[in-house]
Amino acid sequence: MRVDTASERSLLVATDLTRAYRGGKGVFNIRLRLAAGEVVGVMGPNGSGKTTLLRLLATAATPTSGQVSWFGSTNARDPSVRRRLGVMLDQAAHFDEMTGYQNAWFFAHQFGLSDELARERLDELFSWSGLSEARDQLVGQYSLGMRRRLNLVEALVHRPSILLLDEPTLALDYRAELDLIERLQLLSLTGTAVVLATNDVHLAERLCDSILFLHQGRIIREGHVPELLTEVAGSKEVQLQLNSPVGLEAIRALAAVEAANVDGDTVHIILARGANPAQVLAVLNGTADLVSNMRVRRPNLGDLFLKLTGVALPVAHR
Amino acid sequence: MMLAGTIWQRELVEFAQRRRALVIKLAFPLLIAIPLVLSRAPSIYAAMALTMLIAIVGALGAGAVLTRERQTGLTLRYRTLPVTPGRLLIERLSTNSAIDFVQLIPVLVLIALRRPSTFAWWPALLLSTAAVLLIGNLMGAIASTLSQSPGEVMLYVVIPLLPLLYLSGIFTPPSEPALLVVSRLLPFSYLHEALLGALGGQPNLLPWETLLGGLGFLVGAAGLTGRLGRRVFESD
Repeated sequence: MRVDTASERSLLVATDLTRAYRGGKGVFNIRLRLAAGEVVGVMGPNGSGKTTLLRLLATAATPTSGQVSWFGSTNARDPSVRRRLGVMLDQAAHFDEMTGYQNAWFFAHQFGLSDELARERLDELFSWSGLSEARDQLVGQYSLGMRRRLNLVEALVHRPSILLLDEPTLALDYRAELDLIERLQLLSLTGTAVVLATNDVHLAERLCDSILFLHQGRIIREGHVPELLTEVAGSKEVQLQLNSPVGLEAIRALAAVEAANVDGDTVHIILARGANPAQVLAVLNGTADLVSNMRVRRPNLGDLFLKLTGVALPVAHR
Repeated sequence: MMLAGTIWQRELVEFAQRRRALVIKLAFPLLIAIPLVLSRAPSIYAAMALTMLIAIVGALGAGAVLTRERQTGLTLRYRTLPVTPGRLLIERLSTNSAIDFVQLIPVLVLIALRRPSTFAWWPALLLSTAAVLLIGNLMGAIASTLSQSPGEVMLYVVIPLLPLLYLSGIFTPPSEPALLVVSRLLPFSYLHEALLGALGGQPNLLPWETLLGGLGFLVGAAGLTGRLGRRVFESD
């Protein structure tokens, strides 16, 4: 175990963190510093390395090179480190032959809670998560959304200093997402640091202090949310829903177009400040029945990612 | 509702809640053992079949469960618990072995009732059964790190197990001195000797020698289990 003064100031410090898998996948040279109360979002398309990074920070995977320091300790197996981490991994894994409450009770005790404290906190968290009525039901009978909510209960029950959440809003309904945002904001105010991997731009914009954009395992941009949003301020995102495929070359050739990408039957176009969406339609002139729907809106973090990489973030599933 | 806060308690609670599996686990060895013990089958064959049964019971159960946990992501969750992998594996496998032992108690009782005069062999039989179950569980745990599915784990368990059983001399008694030495280095030979003795056959070892062999392997397996925790829980 190594302790240094720089690590003591931050709850978590990742230095040149690399985890390489066969085929070139993984994360490479990640640097991250997390202070108490800070909320950091990790955004990137599928396969960009978000889950790998979360696993490394959660001690569930070991780096190929580089290191992570948690509370000044670089020993990932140190029980005192793990007791202060609250982890929600991408897979909603539980003991399916046990009830939701039995699962949560087991994890609460593993993280050192007494019977009394576990009972008190689980009662509150089951009520908060809307799982009270299903607490005595076998987890094998839970829906994905219920399993994810149980994961959240288990990650929060021991009141960790750092929360590491992988796609926390996946399979949650809108109400549950709002409850989660509110809870995480409160926890942040009381000093809990949060790292969340997400493609939910609304969650990221409402909750995160800063964002890391991951692309092909590397950080391609990082910064505070307002600062990142100014990079696309004034521009517009145009979404064209098309009846049949169209080549993007002509659209991309327009000076007003900063980025364009196809996602299913929808073309996402980022228009430069002051540009008129009619310019795009003019390119499609003579094919009026091609466009079945058109939407123009204020750009968000997903649009900045598209502008930076030419790749659209997947739509967050709910 | 039974609540479990520790790893070994959780194993027991889950086992107790799976009523159907509980009945099958208790009935399956007994169904194999009844004709072997109660019929006039030569004790050498009965001991051979029961040694194989006990070794397979230990290895397959642990292998299948751990492979399924790897697939569903539970192994990753174990890695984030504030518990060392060695302690985790010891708690899990020792509890599983104890459950397997309970599963085999009706078989052992049946042998004792059939041959009450061979009571001198019972301590050796109990210890060598426990040792083979723990070693079988350990083999299953290691096989789970190589397997993609619970079905595949059977392959990785049986491939090493059959030659080891052969080398233990349970199919044919070792004729060469070198093979005899090899058989004494394998835990299955002590279980086979204990079963032969308890079933009224002609074992090559004395009860106390078999008892010491079983004890040695039990202690050795416990030590090895602690050391293999990282291999089982942290291999990708």
